[in-house]
Amino acid sequence: MHAGQLLLRKAGSALLTIGFVLVLNFFLFRVLPGDPARAGIKDPRMTRAAQAAIHQRFGLDKPVLPCLASLNPLRRGPCLVNPLQTQFFIYVNNLLHGELGISYHTKIPVGQLLRARLWNTAVLLSAGQTLAIVLGVAGGVLAAWQAHTRIDYAALIISLVAWSLPTFWLGLILLFWGSRYAGLPIGGQLTPGLAAAGTWAQFTDAARHLVLPTLTQTIIYLAEYLLIMRSTMLDVLAEDYILTAKAKGLSTFQVLKDHALRNAALPIITIVALNLGFTVAGAVQIEAVFSWPGLGQAIFESVARRDYPVLQGAFLLLAVSVIVANLLADLLYSWLDPRVQAAL
Amino acid sequence: MALAGAGMLLFALGLAVFAPLLAAEDPRRALLATSYAIYAAPSAQHWLGTDDAGRDVLSNLIFGARVSLTVGFFASFISVAIGGSIGMLAGYAGGATDRALMRFTDVVLVIPDLPLAIVLVALTKPSLFNIILVIGLVGWTGTARLVRAQTLAVKQRKFVHRARAVGASDWRIITRHIFPLVLPLLVVNTVLVISLAILEESALSFLGLSDPTTVSWGQMLNYAFSRGATSSGAWWALLAPGAGIVWVVLGCTLLGYGLEQILNPRAKAHHLMRQAAPQTSAAQSASSAPADALLEVRGLSVDFVAPQQPPAHAVQDLSFALRPGEIMGLVGESGCGKTTLILSLLRLLPAAGRITAGQVLYRGRNLLALPEAQLAAVRWKEIAIVFQGAMNALNPLLPVGRQIAEAVERHDPAATNAAVARRVGELLEQVGIPAARGRQFAHQYSGGMRQRAMIAMALACDPKIIIADEPTTALDVIIQAQILELLNTLRQRLGLAVIFVTHDLGVVAEICDTVLVMYGGVAAEYASVDAVFNQPQHPYTRALLAAFPDFSRQQNALVSIPGQPPRLHALPPGCRFAPRCSSAVAQCHAQQPRLLRVGAEHYASCHLLQPTLPAGGAIPQPA
Repeated sequence: MHAGQLLLRKAGSALLTIGFVLVLNFFLFRVLPGDPARAGIKDPRMTRAAQAAIHQRFGLDKPVLPCLASLNPLRRGPCLVNPLQTQFFIYVNNLLHGELGISYHTKIPVGQLLRARLWNTAVLLSAGQTLAIVLGVAGGVLAAWQAHTRIDYAALIISLVAWSLPTFWLGLILLFWGSRYAGLPIGGQLTPGLAAAGTWAQFTDAARHLVLPTLTQTIIYLAEYLLIMRSTMLDVLAEDYILTAKAKGLSTFQVLKDHALRNAALPIITIVALNLGFTVAGAVQIEAVFSWPGLGQAIFESVARRDYPVLQGAFLLLAVSVIVANLLADLLYSWLDPRVQAAL
Repeated sequence: MALAGAGMLLFALGLAVFAPLLAAEDPRRALLATSYAIYAAPSAQHWLGTDDAGRDVLSNLIFGARVSLTVGFFASFISVAIGGSIGMLAGYAGGATDRALMRFTDVVLVIPDLPLAIVLVALTKPSLFNIILVIGLVGWTGTARLVRAQTLAVKQRKFVHRARAVGASDWRIITRHIFPLVLPLLVVNTVLVISLAILEESALSFLGLSDPTTVSWGQMLNYAFSRGATSSGAWWALLAPGAGIVWVVLGCTLLGYGLEQILNPRAKAHHLMRQAAPQTSAAQSASSAPADALLEVRGLSVDFVAPQQPPAHAVQDLSFALRPGEIMGLVGESGCGKTTLILSLLRLLPAAGRITAGQVLYRGRNLLALPEAQLAAVRWKEIAIVFQGAMNALNPLLPVGRQIAEAVERHDPAATNAAVARRVGELLEQVGIPAARGRQFAHQYSGGMRQRAMIAMALACDPKIIIADEPTTALDVIIQAQILELLNTLRQRLGLAVIFVTHDLGVVAEICDTVLVMYGGVAAEYASVDAVFNQPQHPYTRALLAAFPDFSRQQNALVSIPGQPPRLHALPPGCRFAPRCSSAVAQCHAQQPRLLRVGAEHYASCHLLQPTLPAGGAIPQPA
């Protein structure tokens, strides 16, 4: 199968999944208690005209689905609603135009609100994940190479313990230690009042704020990547082609680099992509501990405020990111492993 | 490890069950706290200090175990029941059902667990029941995928086909045949799901979504965090509840990891593990081997060691010599030590293999005494190996040509890229593979091409010796003939010496000059090919030849050697072949025979033979 075909097929499948997520997401927030249409207009500061405008814009005055009314046994009758005039259609139509709705609470468009939050979370996640992947892979290779030695057992035990740590608790402990003994800030992104300072001062301050959240994330995920890398590496190093490479006179380093690492890295790619969903779960906890204004914090705040448009938008954004990450991982995988293309 | 984990969990369970007896105070009791009782440091009265409301942290900790374990067990029960059913149904039904269920699973999988749980718990009511239900309902996707994969694998087994053939109902097949084989995996997975559920519960209650009528560890942390434990330095209020969570989750992790190791044991060793230094006699004793010998092996012994087991003597006191241009056949049943022998020549043994005695002299240099770096320079440049099973011996992710080029570059660092490419093309053409196919991968080759590519790789550095481990097994006769022809040509043109490991006595008769017959790790007979085929001396060699079908004579039945090859862990005290030998006498069962010189260039180890010459020169000298 050609690379192009593969891309099309995978992308098609991803689009289909996004479609299903869209439907699920839409109905999830319709069946939950606290109807968005009613919750949104409770704000007494809004004028009636403004309420009507929002209602019309998001079709909140329309039925949810074309024939939902006709399913009611007491009001049986023909389905008279124009399918284009339903909440679902309007929702999808708005989405296609990049409209995610307006936050009930802050009255800011959800897209705009989430963009800033997503950026903050991305900064937090990318720093921690990069460190965790690099150190985890290196540690896993080392542990597998030194299998059944003290180094290996130490790495194994430390990883199993680290894997068992609740993210938020590790964050708390680091926060306690860092703020008391290492002089690091207890949370937030930037020390208040520093906005007027120079670029360099701002940069170092931001970096200092990043240290503890990043460290928390690195430790939690390092353990997982190390364990996976170690076990795949152990399998790979027992393969016959490793013996061939060694018999050719290659040094241990060359064998590890050219023959083992690439073969063992394949599962990690899938795991990292699949993990994206879980890393967001971790981000919720880390952001709560360190008051980091990210996506997780936004979700948490919106739950308390019943801010459904924000929640709906955040869920969609997260699901789409995970799907896209999986798509990229699939493509990367098939690019790295020539057998995948042959098997399709 | 599994035991340690189970112990930790049982301890936590004990705490939870006997909480009212163990705890100093009931956390639900109303308490009028005075300000000095808040965040009191650990003392004799409060071993773990007090919290923000002046309550005993230790008592809270003990009661907290109840919530964690309850949520962990019940939520994971829901998850595993849903995931297990969906996975088994999808795997068993296949087709459209499978696609629909897996698509559904994918959709649920991409919605992040914790945020979803937060929304659901917050919008319903954070009661213990709701928390269990929500965690159970969002956490089943992993189980579904795992169970589906396992069901698919089990479904292909013969007994499932058989059950279906005799008309068993689907329900019966699933419950009686598939479920028992999915169960072990499901148990391991359940332990993991429990730990995830406990982590999730603690995260939810830390975020303030806990049942206010109970005490949980996450909730204690929530109060401590939001009510100034950090700023007042009350480390005990932060440390203790977290330690509780870690204790339970680590218990699950260890139990799960340990069970997984038992269920699915991994290879204990790999090819890059540190090797034990070979024991070799450094002294260069006077050699009785021919002066022009290229390779001389003297008294080589290899043991395989495993903890709590006697060492297995895989090769014992083995000697032979190889001259330029000579092809030596190495024959013997599977497990007689042939592969161990050839791997030990270049010290490529697995980690459990120990060279306990002997010398491997290549042009007079003892390879067993060389430092690793110098030995690496000998590997492939002087002695190359054609491994058995080319599919596995080639790296699946590197183009075949690249793997050949690698050998050239290693031993000729000065070669330009163009020269290396030219050489690779040449080598492939030499074994009948178009040079352009060097860019392809092993899976794009046929079995015969892979085998020939391995040979091309072995020839890459113009080695003086090639060790070919069953290079023609599993190849069709035409390819086999081509490969033998190629080796023969190279032997004549380049003076290449070959050690040819094979089961095929026909091939031995065709191309070999000498034959080394191994049995149970020792040399049974060692002689020129003529002598072995025409005057076999050792009873094993005779039996081996008799078992080889001879198409020139009318033969009604295939002859086989009765019995089994010896187990290397429990070798017979006398001759290793004695238990299967038809002419064994009492001495054969008591004493191990020495290798005797029984003819001009003929050696055999058997008590029934008379040495023609005193066996003074221990090193046999073939023709």
